[in-house]
Amino acid sequence: MRGLLLLVVAAVSAYADSPMLTSRAALGSLTGEQIYDHICQGCHMQGGQGATGAGAYPKLAGNGKFVSWEFVAQTVLNGRGGMPPFGAPANQEGSSRPHLTDAQISDVVNYVRTHFKNSYKSTVTADQVAALPHPAAELFGPQ
Amino acid sequence: MGNGDDSYSLSRRRLLQMIGSTAGGAAMYQAMSSLGFAAESPYRGPIDLQGAPKGASVLVLGAGMAGMTAAYELRNAGYDVQVLEYNARPGGRTWTLRGGDRYTELGGLTQQCEFDQDLYINPGPWRIPYHHHGMMHYVKRLGIKLEPFFQVNYNAYLHSSKAFGGKPQRFREVKADYQGHVAELLAKATRQHALDASVTKEDQEILLESLRDWGALDKNFAYVASDAVSDRRGYEKNPGGGLSARPVLSKPMTLHDVLGSGLWQGIPSGDAFDMQMALFQPAGGMGTIGEAFGRELGPLIRYNSKVIDIHQDSSGVTVTFTDSLGHESKQSLRADWCLCTIPLSVLAQIPMNVGQKMAAAISAVPYASAVKAGLQFKRRFWEEDEQIFGGITYTDLPIMNIGYPNTGFQSAGKGVLLGAYIWGFSAMEFTSMTPQQRVQKVVEYGSQIHPQYHKEFDNGVAVAWHRSPFSLGCFGTWTSDTRARHYEDLCQIDGRVALAGEHASYLGGWQEGAVTSALDAIGRLHQRAVAQGAKV
Repeated sequence: MRGLLLLVVAAVSAYADSPMLTSRAALGSLTGEQIYDHICQGCHMQGGQGATGAGAYPKLAGNGKFVSWEFVAQTVLNGRGGMPPFGAPANQEGSSRPHLTDAQISDVVNYVRTHFKNSYKSTVTADQVAALPHPAAELFGPQ
Repeated sequence: MGNGDDSYSLSRRRLLQMIGSTAGGAAMYQAMSSLGFAAESPYRGPIDLQGAPKGASVLVLGAGMAGMTAAYELRNAGYDVQVLEYNARPGGRTWTLRGGDRYTELGGLTQQCEFDQDLYINPGPWRIPYHHHGMMHYVKRLGIKLEPFFQVNYNAYLHSSKAFGGKPQRFREVKADYQGHVAELLAKATRQHALDASVTKEDQEILLESLRDWGALDKNFAYVASDAVSDRRGYEKNPGGGLSARPVLSKPMTLHDVLGSGLWQGIPSGDAFDMQMALFQPAGGMGTIGEAFGRELGPLIRYNSKVIDIHQDSSGVTVTFTDSLGHESKQSLRADWCLCTIPLSVLAQIPMNVGQKMAAAISAVPYASAVKAGLQFKRRFWEEDEQIFGGITYTDLPIMNIGYPNTGFQSAGKGVLLGAYIWGFSAMEFTSMTPQQRVQKVVEYGSQIHPQYHKEFDNGVAVAWHRSPFSLGCFGTWTSDTRARHYEDLCQIDGRVALAGEHASYLGGWQEGAVTSALDAIGRLHQRAVAQGAKV
């Protein structure tokens, strides 16, 4: 089983030559804005507008909860409800699960806290993100 | 990692990263099917709900496979059943898009499916393994016609954009050559006495013969061009009749090319328990099952109903809902019991007075990202030009899979194939695009495998599951850790509320998980109802 999970790493890394951004190599060079546009926007929509159906994706624009960078960073790191975790597993450096680095998480947190009608002055660093709890263990493979 | 050998894992990981992946989709399936999906269905024949108390009622939330299975059996057992469904149709993720259908995703973008008559795409589940006994039972009971689903097609492709100049290779060539070269190596090791310590002399003789048989080796245990080898990997020119009958043998790839291509990753695509043929698909699309269940339940289902509150007390459950089209104010229904099949991604946002344990379980399950695209082409070029009849091509391109229709072979006119079935970060990236951009990208990538795309493309639809208004994702993703902490709490009846759905099963993402979890839950609800006796 674990061997098969490892193949997924390779499956993701194989897009390096393509214009898609979701290769591990390309992922590494994404800015906070690019991460938002290519990943977060899938659910939280353009401009952080959120969306509502049977359930809802929270609106990020003008979101009062964003006063706390820890809240935003924790959510991106560990997920919340149906939202998947994006942080690197704490005890699995180089895990097979595709994830964002602490630096990328700080970038995207800074991006959403200073855009979409959010104008929080304080910025967060990769080290500050690194100090937060990360997903506990190897999570799911392909997702 | 559980295998206790990290140095091995790391070097293996680096190796795979170096080679790059191919047949990514196949690897994804393998990984998926190893995440607790491989458990055999617990279905053991029709459920027996004798002795339902007179007047007892059950409110079912959700008209997907779990909800409708439950409603159907409970109604048949004499319960007073009502079903609330968010969508305007039955089926939930058991769904088919056909010409004329409109689909509006979260964010408000609407796609109009422009497929020709009888052509369709299943945005959700598309296959039923023979051992999904619960699904097979209801398919039979509902009178649904089944067709074979070709999980493995030896003439479909394994493709790496980095190997063989990006030219797709036939599955049968990769399989035969990998198997042949491995057999040759193992035979060599055996004859050089490398296995003397672990295999008896007599077993070595048998092993050698079996390797010759398995790998199509010659009398010297070599894997070289021969009739036997072409009979596995295909001929340069096929044998025929008459004057032009003589076949021309094909030449195997070298071991180095096979290994370096990474295409071997696609070989076991039909070996996982859930992928072993026979597999089936309903004629006319998976949605026919949802539609048949919906007809069977008729007026018991109330459509366009968005649940906004679930409240239980000592004598029953009150569910408050609004019209999902936004036209009506709040209404409520009450019943003795509630079977809730709402996906956890949605349920986690609905106020419900259950205990802390169930509430924690409901919030502990993230939902997977997946994207499927259906493309209509002006002709079935994959059949006409490339002789691919059904099955799946796996690629390292972001589209991951191309699924060819397993029905309507050689029919004239247009054809629809599954142009992409995407997981993980790539799926999230496709989700972030508009539907039109998704289709355009899928066509662009697919044309690297089938250049005919450029000329033959007609129209397409692309469903991104994280933008599904009714599920907010594809399916619940458990880990061994979250299962250990929350799974039983999720499945236990809390007062008068029980949960069911693929998320409450070890068959995550499969319809069989929904069916068997529903039967399990209503069996337990029934016992409680019987214990309480008839209403006063």
